[in-house]
Amino acid sequence: MPLLDVKDLSTSFRTEDGIVKAVEGVSFTVEKGQTLGIVGESGSGKSVTCLTIMGLNPKRNTITSGEALWKGDDLLKMKPNDLRQVRGNDISMIFQDPMTSLNPVHTIGRQLTEAILLHRDVTKKVARARALELLGAVGIPRAQTRIDDYPHQFSGGMRQRVMIAMALINDPDLLIADEPTTALDVTTQAQILSLMKTLQEDFGSAIIMITHDLGVVAELADDVFVMYAANVVEQATVYDLFSQPKHPYTWGLMGSLPRLDADVERLTQIPGQPPSLLRPPGGCRFHPRCPYVMEVCKTTVPALKPTPRDPNHLEKCHLDEETKEREAAKLLAVTMAEAG
Amino acid sequence: METAPAANPQTGDELLVVEGVRKYFPITRGIIFQKEIASVKAVDGVSFSVKPGETLGIVGESGCGKSTLARCIMKLLESTDGRITFEGRDITKLSRPAMRPIRREMTMIFQDPYASLNPRKRVGFIIGEPLEVHGLGSSNEIKRRVQELLEVVGLNPEHYNRFPHEFSGGQRQRIGVARALAVNPKLIVCDEPVSALDVSVQAQILNLLKDLQDDFGLTYIFIAHDLNVVRHISDRVMVMYLGKVVEVGSREVLYREPKHPYTGALLSAVPIANPELGRSRTPIVLEGDVPSPVNPPSACNFHPRCPRFVEGHCDVEDPPLYSFGNGHVAACHYALERWPMDADEIRRPGERTKSEHPEQPLPA
Repeated sequence: MPLLDVKDLSTSFRTEDGIVKAVEGVSFTVEKGQTLGIVGESGSGKSVTCLTIMGLNPKRNTITSGEALWKGDDLLKMKPNDLRQVRGNDISMIFQDPMTSLNPVHTIGRQLTEAILLHRDVTKKVARARALELLGAVGIPRAQTRIDDYPHQFSGGMRQRVMIAMALINDPDLLIADEPTTALDVTTQAQILSLMKTLQEDFGSAIIMITHDLGVVAELADDVFVMYAANVVEQATVYDLFSQPKHPYTWGLMGSLPRLDADVERLTQIPGQPPSLLRPPGGCRFHPRCPYVMEVCKTTVPALKPTPRDPNHLEKCHLDEETKEREAAKLLAVTMAEAG
Repeated sequence: METAPAANPQTGDELLVVEGVRKYFPITRGIIFQKEIASVKAVDGVSFSVKPGETLGIVGESGCGKSTLARCIMKLLESTDGRITFEGRDITKLSRPAMRPIRREMTMIFQDPYASLNPRKRVGFIIGEPLEVHGLGSSNEIKRRVQELLEVVGLNPEHYNRFPHEFSGGQRQRIGVARALAVNPKLIVCDEPVSALDVSVQAQILNLLKDLQDDFGLTYIFIAHDLNVVRHISDRVMVMYLGKVVEVGSREVLYREPKHPYTGALLSAVPIANPELGRSRTPIVLEGDVPSPVNPPSACNFHPRCPRFVEGHCDVEDPPLYSFGNGHVAACHYALERWPMDADEIRRPGERTKSEHPEQPLPA
């Protein structure tokens, strides 16, 4: 049984202007020790997918359907008390902005131990020892003294380490990281990513990594899915996705990325803007921006189906296989030229 | 003989020459009798030059002084020391009124397209305001020019009367570009113009900036923290660390053969969107954080984090910008011999750096 089995998950928000479909029919599984990457631009629904699984959307205006089975139990139907037992204990989350997700008026020691004291029947002393151990594990120097510091006394990278320590403190089986390095500098990002890799080896947790950065996904993920306008448009192993991308949006993303490993005079841009989810375009969501658009794309939503060669590589596009292979090869000839 | 343009700028045809610019922000104590107790050395002796028509990229992590430097060049901040020469004219000490005509020649694009446009003004006014300020044309002419500019940056000229909130992030950044273009400047300082944008929109803006450069012969100073973006757009790249220049070189050379260990660490830290390539290398992970610019480390200010630190040398003697030919300079006593290097190799300090022109040691 997979650790997490999400089936046909949809989330909509009631707003003053109408219903916003933020996630439409997303299905995936996470196995023990696996790293799943979710890539997409802002507003593609990648964060909402995870917030829904964690039950963190505002109850008042959220409509959810589908299933999210955590070791067989549906997280979406759980009572708040039961969900609280899972959240922070079995599943924990790292948020994007370490500046705003720590409480500025409590010491980090207090914030770290809170999670243990909530879920475990231990004394404060034991909890503090565990907090110290974790601060050491994430590489905070002089943890003994720093545990009594306030968040403002830490730099951005250090705060993100505290967030990671907090997320790992109860030995979670699944760690959801929502853009954990976006607010950080490249050298700090490299520190945090290599930290996450080692911690995963040591603790054996599964990770869901949400990011807009294809580079981060390429470095860290085992499997990836690409989201566009509330839908999964392509899903594959990381090697397949980068060596045989099948969806025009994935091509667009890869082509619009300036990169260190190839010289491109002009970036291939995706024309237009991501659509409004309030009134999304009919048919394939990507058709108004797609350079390969056909008549059928405007009327019929393509199914997320396996590619003929690989049953584990899914994509959502009407284009015929021949064109896809040709176009993907053309793209790779440019971007992978120097990589060999 | 070859000269290093970064440190030896007087060849005569530069658009902008910056020499030894420093910007210290005082830290004061006391309310009435404010006493300066220390200073933040945001920019600490930076020299470089920009030729007409080229793009100079400035990279560095947050807090390295790249934005402060941009503001000093634009004279939005008064620099503490040093000299800025624009088109052969020293503008360092010019008064605000005397500076005004020069502001027609150099404009700026800001990072945050949400904060840099006045939400209560219409787009037509925002783009036309520089024209009005400089008295360039009647209101009818300004309107025509604004509509032309909207067209140039890829917006619908009919959106003249809309407010900024009616546009998406990418479109707002296009408005920012149109405003910077309005007075036909020679130099545009772009301060992180694409870092707030999504990848697909970022590509649109980068392509637009390149097209405009070809069409209008613009010169850019392009500031960003994303090494991929800087590589894509720049002709020459300057790397900054803690207020100082650590390396300058042409785009090809600097990315192919970085000489400064910090540049090497930066390059190896960039995630590569290619799993096979990305996972086969071992990044050089720097330890610790960037030190405080209030009390920077002695001599080479990278030495506490540097993998090739040599005690008794790097922390004592400030490295000058050694020349490696063709304008490639790096401030390191023990420059990297080759590239790529992995984390273990880089730790074996090699020979002392020798300038290609040792008879002319370049000043820092």
